[in-house]
Amino acid sequence: MPAYYLEIAVVVLGLVLLLVEAFTPPQHKRRIGWAALAGIAATFLLLLTVKSHCGCDSPMWQFYDDSSLSLFFKGLALLCTAFVLMLGLEYLPVLEKYSARAGGGPATGEFFALPVLICAGLMWMASAIDITTIFLSLELTTIGFYIMVAYMRRNVGSLEAGVKYLILGALSTGILVYGLSWLFGATGQTGLDAIRTALPSAARGPALFAFALILIALCFKIAAVPFHFWVPDVYQGAPTPVTAFLSVGSKAAGFLVAIRLMEPFLAVESLRTTCIAILVAVACATLILGNLAAIPQGNFKRLLAYSSISHAGFLLLALASDRHTGELTSTRIIAFYLSAYLCMTLLAFAVLIIINKSTGSDELKAFDGLHRRNPFLGFATLIAAASLAGVPLTAGFLGKFFVFIAAAGAQQWLAIGIAVAGAAAGFYYYFKVIRHVYWNTAPEGAAAIPVSPVAKSLLIILIAATLVLGVYPQLILGLL
Amino acid sequence: MLSEYLPVLIQMITATGLAASMLILSVVLGKSGNQSDIKNSPYECGMLPIGEGQPRFSVKFYMVAMLFVLFDIEVVFMYPWAVVFRDMIVTHTIMFWSMLSFAGILLVAYLYALKKGALNWKE
Amino acid sequence: MTSTYASIILLFPLFSAAAILLGLKKKANISALVATGSALLTLVLSVLVLNAKEWSSVTLLQWSKVGGLELGIDLKIDQLSSGMMLVVTGVGALVHLFSLIYMKKDAGKARFFAGLSLFMFSMTGIVYSANLAMMFIFWELVGVSSYILIGHWFEKNSAADAAKKAFLTNRIGDFGFMIGILLLWAATREISFDGLSNAVAAGNMAPGLLAAATLCIFCGTVGKSAQFPLHVWLPDAMEGPTPVSALIHAATMVAAGVYMLVRVSFLIEASGWAADVIAWIGGISALLAALMATQQNDIKRVLAYSTLSQLGYMVMACGLLASEAGMFHLFTHAWFKAGLFLGSGAIIYACHHEQDIWKMGGLKDKMPVTFATFGLCTAALIAVPFTSGWWSKEAILEAAYKNDGLLFPIAAGTALLTAFYMTRLFVVVFFGKGRDSHVAGHAHEVPMLMRAPLIILAVLAVLAGFALIAGPVLGDEYAKYSQFHFSVPAIVSILTLALGVGLGLKLYAGRDREPVNIKLFANKFYFDELYAKIVKLCQDSVAAVARVLDGLLIDGVGVGGTRGFANMTGNALRRIQSGNLQGYACLFGAGVLVIVLLALL
Repeated sequence: MPAYYLEIAVVVLGLVLLLVEAFTPPQHKRRIGWAALAGIAATFLLLLTVKSHCGCDSPMWQFYDDSSLSLFFKGLALLCTAFVLMLGLEYLPVLEKYSARAGGGPATGEFFALPVLICAGLMWMASAIDITTIFLSLELTTIGFYIMVAYMRRNVGSLEAGVKYLILGALSTGILVYGLSWLFGATGQTGLDAIRTALPSAARGPALFAFALILIALCFKIAAVPFHFWVPDVYQGAPTPVTAFLSVGSKAAGFLVAIRLMEPFLAVESLRTTCIAILVAVACATLILGNLAAIPQGNFKRLLAYSSISHAGFLLLALASDRHTGELTSTRIIAFYLSAYLCMTLLAFAVLIIINKSTGSDELKAFDGLHRRNPFLGFATLIAAASLAGVPLTAGFLGKFFVFIAAAGAQQWLAIGIAVAGAAAGFYYYFKVIRHVYWNTAPEGAAAIPVSPVAKSLLIILIAATLVLGVYPQLILGLL
Repeated sequence: MLSEYLPVLIQMITATGLAASMLILSVVLGKSGNQSDIKNSPYECGMLPIGEGQPRFSVKFYMVAMLFVLFDIEVVFMYPWAVVFRDMIVTHTIMFWSMLSFAGILLVAYLYALKKGALNWKE
Repeated sequence: MTSTYASIILLFPLFSAAAILLGLKKKANISALVATGSALLTLVLSVLVLNAKEWSSVTLLQWSKVGGLELGIDLKIDQLSSGMMLVVTGVGALVHLFSLIYMKKDAGKARFFAGLSLFMFSMTGIVYSANLAMMFIFWELVGVSSYILIGHWFEKNSAADAAKKAFLTNRIGDFGFMIGILLLWAATREISFDGLSNAVAAGNMAPGLLAAATLCIFCGTVGKSAQFPLHVWLPDAMEGPTPVSALIHAATMVAAGVYMLVRVSFLIEASGWAADVIAWIGGISALLAALMATQQNDIKRVLAYSTLSQLGYMVMACGLLASEAGMFHLFTHAWFKAGLFLGSGAIIYACHHEQDIWKMGGLKDKMPVTFATFGLCTAALIAVPFTSGWWSKEAILEAAYKNDGLLFPIAAGTALLTAFYMTRLFVVVFFGKGRDSHVAGHAHEVPMLMRAPLIILAVLAVLAGFALIAGPVLGDEYAKYSQFHFSVPAIVSILTLALGVGLGLKLYAGRDREPVNIKLFANKFYFDELYAKIVKLCQDSVAAVARVLDGLLIDGVGVGGTRGFANMTGNALRRIQSGNLQGYACLFGAGVLVIVLLALL
């Protein structure tokens, strides 16, 4: 079976869900979520049966890559979507409150159909090796996200976030198209393979201009400084499952595209130095700003937003190290880092959603005395924060560790210094969360926080994954 | 090579020139009289205007307009397809199926819009 | 085939422990049977492995492969590990059987057997490990299971404290062990025993570094095998249930340190003066412990100090480059010391959990089987000719006599003391009349299931030195020790035996009270008090310094400075993050300009 059947399956699933949604009475909308989850899970199982290069002859292969890297990122997209759908089911009460129609009941069905379509975009992006398909798939996800961010139409914050994301997203899209057109102009090619062969003989100025524009647009997607301004506001305003999806799915896909698009530039000797210098500069700025700005945050969602920015800095550093030899190539490091990031970030968001459901607050204060109100939830927070900070034996530690190895190999000493300082700052602000959970006392009369079976199983899976990856990285590295 | 782009340049010059000349000519040729609040009101010696100059449209108008634009744009994709259809269908039957699936997606979108009441003007 | 067996031997106890902890916790009897079954199975399999003699290595799990460092669970199946496995599983199986009765009415029975299974798993891991990293991991696991089992009766404060003490003392040794591993890896880029052996043979390491690394590794042994100066935890560890003492704190775990020394004997041989240090530490431990043993009144503590002393013997042998002799003694010692401990367990069981030997007495007639087996094991320990202990002790004395003028008298003195204190123990416990009617009066022979392991161990204590049993375990090395030849060490050995037993009989036959009082020995040379003083002194001074530093540096410059800086930048950044879309778009544009300029200039 060729791999692109997977995308077709997911698109069909999304369309069917949309149609079914339109014809389903409001009280049964929850089932849409379960159906979407089942469909995504089935696709994931299908993915396991796909082998690289089935040998089928098709014009598709000019645009479509099915190497193990692509399949890996498809898996990541599917897993992420599945987790987000579970989070969405958990988030339903909040969603119902804010998404009421003018005359009728809540409109929650599309909240489960749209992630499926976004997932199709992410999966397609994982395989796109032509600048046209890269752009198309990027748009498919981005447009889905525009809607998702603004989904809670009775919530001013959500609407504001939607508008901001839409305007700035459109701006970055425009710049991306402009950059891609310069790339096309400089090389006369749209396929990445052809671009790689044509780029060394292209003029230096246009090539670098194209590089800068593409990098800017991708920096917007992966939340790198100085194109990160939307991140804290949009993360805070958007429905929490969407925020989780944005910070994990969107970032993962953005990095894969970055790996693919940057690679031809870095391979050209005359462009290499400049490109790496720019990448390192952006990485350093991202590390500094992301970590410093995270320190004073009192809102958990905003804290995670800045955390997302600082992790982007680490990932960019891995990309800039441009390492191709040995066990730990840049690509594999990024893949591992993103997997680790997926586990720990979704874990943090899952805890947040559960707490928000009970307390109605996203502030750090809502975490006070959590270990008494629900010890398991407290433990989950502990693991998430420890891994995000990079405590040994968690996935987050190994991710950072690998980045340091790569950066040391590339002799980026200044960047390493900044990254170490950033990681140290990270310990401070993530442990602030732990302090709220374990040291602060709960407010008077605070009730225990219930955890539904769905949420509990999700938490257990994510905790286990975070810890297992922390001691057995081969699990991911072996896949690539 | 650059000469191929000459028509584009001419187009750009024409466009900017036309717009600029309109603005400039209206200033140069137009007669400016005394300015006052009363002179600037829509009806200098008629009824006083009530309400805003631009009345609000129903959101339904935008909805229908947007749907129109969307479907319209999507039909545009069929033109290049139709141009090469006769030549290529012999060797590439996939052409037919891909456009059919494209139309299918449009159909789903249409059904969805219909069911959601986007085209229902009265409600 | 052997590799499959070895994998099963390793994993089965793990499954058993997991099954008990996860599912069977409520069903204590089934738990006990599961654990015992797994122990018996591993015994059978390790006999098969030993008989097959197919030496091989197998990688069970590739754990991590980063930057040239390959970590994995690699099993090394050779003469040494297979022989050691026989000891571990053999004693283990017998102790499991014994515990079925001994722990019959214990409330934490399931937990106890889970702990035993976990221990068997960890110990197997140490024995089969083919690299230092894996050995270290299981080394720590053994420490954990020992902690769990010593503290089995955690409601007793003394047991909880003893568990803590054992764990912490071991940490000191393990720290050195880890540094040693890191040193070796840094110098040779190898952590597998084979690779290290090749690297050392090729002379890749500077002699000084090699000696330092060897001593660091030896720190692990000092902790685990309770050598001077980290010996203080082992006597306290007797707070654990007696079967645990027999298995872990006499036969197997404490011997792991010696086993590790035998494994890295190629390092010791190449390390020069470090070998002398090792030999001397062993000798000093042997003598000190024997002196302390002469004045203990708790039956298990006497045996504990005796274990310390015998471990010192083995370590000394390793330091004298006669690691086969050390291994031989490890092998024989495991049987007779396990027998002695289980025998003491039987006595304690019969005497209503009384452990003071001066309250016992006259048990000869009431517990004939225990009496006989205990006697045979004692004979082996004090090296009565042609018992197993005699063969192996002879080998060590021989090595000491050949290599070092000063260590031989120490070894001989230890042998004399051993004969003396064991005679004292034996006479006071079994002969005379019952001194406390409540304790010794109602004593009677223990049930069959407890007697059987005693008998088996007693038989092994006598016979384990002969070719039939020791031959396959020790392999070709055994031939060196199997011939008896008349020499100075042999004469000295028999003389010390006679002297020690005679002195013991003279002093203790027919006594009801301790006739000699040597406070220094009874109080274990005041090591515990000394350590407590040192720890307190260090703690107080460090605390004082830390308080000053904390006030000045941490609170003042560190926290204050960092907080000020963070607040400042945070506020600056907050101003940029205004929430205004137009502002964002402007900054976006500025960013575009900067990046494009960077690219084009």
